[in-house]
Amino acid sequence: MIETTAAPFPTLRLRPWLAPVALAAAAVGTYMALFWAPTDAVQGEVYRIIYVHVPLAWLSYLAFVVVFLASIGWLWSRRPWFDALAVSSAEVGVLFTGLFIVAGSIWAKPTWGVWWTWDPRLVTTSVMFVMYLGYLLLRSLSTDFQRRATRAAVLGVIAVVDIPIVHLSVIWMNSIHQLPTVLRMTGGPTLDPTMGLTLGVNVVAFTLVYLALLGERMHIERARQRLVLERRS
Amino acid sequence: MSGEPVTLGKIVLVALRELFAERRHPDGLAAALTFTGMLVLLESLAFGPGRAREPATASAVFWIAVVFAASLVTMRSFDRELEDDAIDAVIALPGGREALYAGKVLAIAVVVAVVAIAAGALSILLLDLGIALPGHLVLVGALGVVALPPVVVLANVLTLRVRARVALVPILAFPILVPQLLAATQGAAAALSGDAAAALGWSGLLAAFALVYAVLGLTIVPAAIE
Amino acid sequence: MLDDRPVLRGATLEAGPGLSLLRGENGSGKTTLLRALVGLVDLTRGRRSVTGTPLYIGHRPMLLRGLTARENLTFLASFRGVRADVVAALRRWGLEDAMDRPVDRLSAGQRRRAALARLETEPAAVVLLDEPFADLDVDAIILLRAAVNGALARRQAVLMVTHLHHELDADAAARFHLKDGIVTPA
Repeated sequence: MIETTAAPFPTLRLRPWLAPVALAAAAVGTYMALFWAPTDAVQGEVYRIIYVHVPLAWLSYLAFVVVFLASIGWLWSRRPWFDALAVSSAEVGVLFTGLFIVAGSIWAKPTWGVWWTWDPRLVTTSVMFVMYLGYLLLRSLSTDFQRRATRAAVLGVIAVVDIPIVHLSVIWMNSIHQLPTVLRMTGGPTLDPTMGLTLGVNVVAFTLVYLALLGERMHIERARQRLVLERRS
Repeated sequence: MSGEPVTLGKIVLVALRELFAERRHPDGLAAALTFTGMLVLLESLAFGPGRAREPATASAVFWIAVVFAASLVTMRSFDRELEDDAIDAVIALPGGREALYAGKVLAIAVVVAVVAIAAGALSILLLDLGIALPGHLVLVGALGVVALPPVVVLANVLTLRVRARVALVPILAFPILVPQLLAATQGAAAALSGDAAAALGWSGLLAAFALVYAVLGLTIVPAAIE
Repeated sequence: MLDDRPVLRGATLEAGPGLSLLRGENGSGKTTLLRALVGLVDLTRGRRSVTGTPLYIGHRPMLLRGLTARENLTFLASFRGVRADVVAALRRWGLEDAMDRPVDRLSAGQRRRAALARLETEPAAVVLLDEPFADLDVDAIILLRAAVNGALARRQAVLMVTHLHHELDADAAARFHLKDGIVTPA
């Protein structure tokens, strides 16, 4: 017997609170990023894009790890709740990954003088972006609920397994060709404490935004699932 | 309907079934051969004789052609499978899904090997390529041919009976194939230019990819075959 | 579930040895029910329990084009791990001259016959037939009835979907009707 509606564990009624809290956190984070954090000694004001860039990077990976876990959950239990989680996280993930690539590109131009460079991280991210676009496309073209969920889950697992392999192979290619490593995070471990705190606050704020979007999207998906799965006498 | 495990015998049976059908109506192979030959010719022309002879360019052209060929052959194979619902007779049997996946991978590797040999010979003749390490080149070629089909078959399985399948297969397969393509291209270039260590290193990576996808293919992929 | 549309809703069907007939209007989900029983369709909810590996012959022949009828049947029997006299079976079904031609060069009726010859080459406790009379000429209909009777004599359970052939009703151990996703005994 397969239970179609209930979540696999009791969910807290967090959803109504997430959006306002995320909004407030984002406001604080943005203020800190633009006014509170000091200007960088080397890069000047341009560096402030880091406060968007790093949280976006973290979230794009987080989102796809969630897709992976949800996919395993579906394959394991066939509970529609997991499929709703997978599609929601994938959509938000694609959004954040797209923004991440754009933000990175905007940052690269003044810093390195180019919009794009074949750095392992950039390559991995763009491959990941295309992979999950394919994931969403596959979902949108499949019509049958059960089949769509299972096939998407298989792809969700494979994609996450593939991402580190992509990263590794690009690193290896670059090391063989002795390309100069142009990408190094400015500051690195010796980040100014104020900058560190601002970055931390922004990472938390963006994560809350992710959770809020995820919650809303899941709410819609669950409603859609009920429509499809419960249409029975 | 699982329960009974898939055996090597069943996998070989599916592979033989595929090869018999392909031998009788070699439309997939014919299309792939023509397409690969044309691609090698066109790309070499586009790069100009000088650039096209460079190991990196020549091997990139070769492998891109082979990836397209693999995807053509596989799509044709599944088209045939969907006519008259032939696939259903196999997957309704115990171990059928696993055997179908692995058997297809095996058979398509054989067909792709034929295409790769032809395209390789064409490249070598056409571009008058000098080969520093022929043994290494064969090794990279063989492992590359083995590493591609698992992903291409996977993409076909995921899009069975889905609208716009023809467009969706490359969209799903090619990003996943980035590491395989990189490794095969770099490995072949290294073999052409005489870098034995790099050729062996990339070969190892290709073997690892083939192994990873063989495991994934036999564990989670069968669930998606319907 | 087909295209997000539930086809079966609480269809319960139990069939033992003997002939069971399943009827219903076009599009009522008869094929989906059979495919669910063999595991070709995932169930959103519910269970299936079938003795052994059933033999399912769909309303399309399910034979691979490019292979001959003989090759197709030999492959399927070998995959099940059974030894079968494929040539004799195909000969009985009147495919003496056609069995070594690729199935894409056979007529619809011949393909149908080749598919039905699996009744003899693949012994199974449970046999599921989806509209087996389609495309058959009179001779083949007689052959099919004989094959079904043979299966019944071997105590096989035969579940047949057909909306015609009411003369079978006399032989049937059970009859079912599928409507609006619900199975009722008829």
